[in-house]
Amino acid sequence: MRHALMQFAPAFPEIFVLIMISLILVVDAAVDDGKRFLAYFLSLVTLAGASFLTLRDFSTLPVLTLGGLFIDDPLSDVLKLFLYLSVAIVLVYSRDYLRQRGLYKGEFFVLALFALLGMMVMVSASHFLTLYLGLELLSLSLYAMVALQRDSSVATEAAMKYFVLGALASGMLLYGMSMVYGVTGSLGLGDIAIALQDGTDLRIPLVFGIVFIVAGLAFKLGAVPFHMWIPDVYHGAPTAMTLFIGSAPKIAAFAFVIRILGQGLESQVSDWRGMLVILAVLSMALGNIAAIAQSNLKRMLAYSAISHMGFMLLGILAGSQNGYGSAMFYVLVYALMSLGGFGMILLLSRAGFEADRLEDFKGLNRRSPWLAFMMLLLMFSMAGVPPTVGFYAKLSVLQAVVEIGYVWLAVAAVLFSLIGAFYYLRIVKLMYFDAPHDAAPIKASPDARVVMSVNGLAILALGIMPQPLMAVCIHAIRASF
Amino acid sequence: MISLSHYLVLGGILFAISVLGIFLNRKNVIILLMAIELMLLAVNMNFIAFSHYLGDIHGQIFVFFILTVAAAESAIGLAILVVLFRNLHTINVDDLDHLKG
Amino acid sequence: MTYTTAIFYFFASILVFAGLRVITARNPVHAALYLVLAFFTAAGLWMLLEAEFLAITLVLVYVGAVMVLFLFVVMMLDINLEKLREGFWDYLPLAGFVAVLLVIEMALILGSRHFGLEVMGAPAPHAADYSNTKELGRVLYTEYVYAFELAAVILLVAIVAAIALTLRRRKDSKYIDPAEQVKVKRNDRLRIVKMQATQKPGAGEDGA
Repeated sequence: MRHALMQFAPAFPEIFVLIMISLILVVDAAVDDGKRFLAYFLSLVTLAGASFLTLRDFSTLPVLTLGGLFIDDPLSDVLKLFLYLSVAIVLVYSRDYLRQRGLYKGEFFVLALFALLGMMVMVSASHFLTLYLGLELLSLSLYAMVALQRDSSVATEAAMKYFVLGALASGMLLYGMSMVYGVTGSLGLGDIAIALQDGTDLRIPLVFGIVFIVAGLAFKLGAVPFHMWIPDVYHGAPTAMTLFIGSAPKIAAFAFVIRILGQGLESQVSDWRGMLVILAVLSMALGNIAAIAQSNLKRMLAYSAISHMGFMLLGILAGSQNGYGSAMFYVLVYALMSLGGFGMILLLSRAGFEADRLEDFKGLNRRSPWLAFMMLLLMFSMAGVPPTVGFYAKLSVLQAVVEIGYVWLAVAAVLFSLIGAFYYLRIVKLMYFDAPHDAAPIKASPDARVVMSVNGLAILALGIMPQPLMAVCIHAIRASF
Repeated sequence: MISLSHYLVLGGILFAISVLGIFLNRKNVIILLMAIELMLLAVNMNFIAFSHYLGDIHGQIFVFFILTVAAAESAIGLAILVVLFRNLHTINVDDLDHLKG
Repeated sequence: MTYTTAIFYFFASILVFAGLRVITARNPVHAALYLVLAFFTAAGLWMLLEAEFLAITLVLVYVGAVMVLFLFVVMMLDINLEKLREGFWDYLPLAGFVAVLLVIEMALILGSRHFGLEVMGAPAPHAADYSNTKELGRVLYTEYVYAFELAAVILLVAIVAAIALTLRRRKDSKYIDPAEQVKVKRNDRLRIVKMQATQKPGAGEDGA
């Protein structure tokens, strides 16, 4: 690892995004309602520019800079590229939805980019302080985005619940960080790892702190028993915001967990593994079982998100590089599936019609065979049916768990995913074998349709050829640890 | 002589009070926000106490940022509260039942 | 008992009392005022810990700004107080029991066995010319400049979010737009009408 005290070059993508946010704020304040597309266009330019900057300076070995607060390593670069991609897809899917609901305003784009900046800070954090500031930058933007539809009492209610539980989670996380600081005397993740290398005589306070950190992380990930905000927020938020919350922040949350547990508290793996096992089992169980009872697709996908986070935790709790790599693969694939799932709701919605109930998908095959096929691929992938990529993702985390000797855990995970397959396949049944009860034509814009096709086919293509992405994930983890 | 554990136990008591407050005042969002401020105060107490007894100023820096973020957080929280009140004319958490969780 | 010990117990007991009152007060205004008291006493304790700058900041930022914001919102919203208290006493025994248990467990972990004076002794007090503010500033603007900028961004998010959420144009209020006012030309407001000068019959005789 290279140490540089003050070197701004690795942070160019962050600086560029911040400059563009300021520009969009000023431009959007100056133009009238007819020119709101400027903010949309500039946001996409921002994402393209940031991708260019990240690719240009793609790091081969980790660089620790900006006073040890910022790390630029292959892991952060790969994750950042996926963050840009998912935010861009969110913007394309949600444009028409926002316009029909009077939310097509500069504030949405500015807050989305602020949230992106927060996520970038999180994935590049090498210090408790930057982890915390990135997380708050992300969370504060998300609270505001959920409440942005201010005349909707459901949306503001969701925002309030999200806010209170999110702030509680931050409090717990901070309390845990303070204990770790007290035990190790440092806040940087690298220094903490060094301080804990040879064990510590303050083991009990350290484990006490780790309990609080894991509880805070579980809140943010939405793992059971800290999941209660997920269904309400996913359901209550406008679908465009749900799409945002359900995709990119999951990638950032993965980075957050990996940085704290995998890099900072690496030597305490025996302490946190047990906690993650409980979280993972409960999440997979509750997520898959509760999803069956839902009649609202957003709520169903929310419970499905809980169970997917349980699966991702399987990879992390393995505590090995293979495990981290497979968890990373899982979360990237999950983000792609989640984008497709919520994106489909957005594509089918129109002014005054949300298309978020299960019966709205009845007979989709007759209304649009192609979109129905895309949804079929997405649902198969979420259920883990081969040859879609969801199968391979599940397989790789299960392998990682079996490697450390937790065969019972792998068996339980397979059982829960079999239960889960039921409600995903129910949607397929609704689309193909039921008569449509809504014959209105689907008015999705051409660009959203194209992106949806790419999204769905990517699920299939990655399922047939998972090796390149898997190799990228494993390489990113190997080169960064 | 006051030891580090005095401050830590005080922080622990504050933390427990704020958790208690969150469970007891599940009906009143404003008190919930205040309980969260109390929780952050407990965290800050921990950080400053550790910082003093470790002789390391970085803990105080962390508190500086927690204070800043908490100010921003309460501004957004209160803004959401005001929007909610305009919609529902209540801050009673029991009335927030449009979303069954 | 030394002087600082007495001060610690004095402030700590006020702090715990104020904290308890925050969560049990009947009236949100009282709760907010007790929270102010809690912050004040916490600032006193931080002074004992030689964190002078943060103690002052706590008073300035929290008591001066955040709590005023809280009070403002509490008073702006017309809240039915009695309804909000229903069920409070039903939960109290169980929740109180859990909280006491939590405190006892925390005290066991955080107690003198791990963090007593023998394990971690009190540092020597700083010299009289030591400036806590200067030390903090030196680190804050060098090592932590990245975090400092991020904090600024977070405050910007708070501004954008608070305005986006709460600013609204009321139909029954009248607004002035300074830009429109400045753009006004003389010709928009003042019309000079050419008129034939006429004399009222008999006007001249009165004035004479």
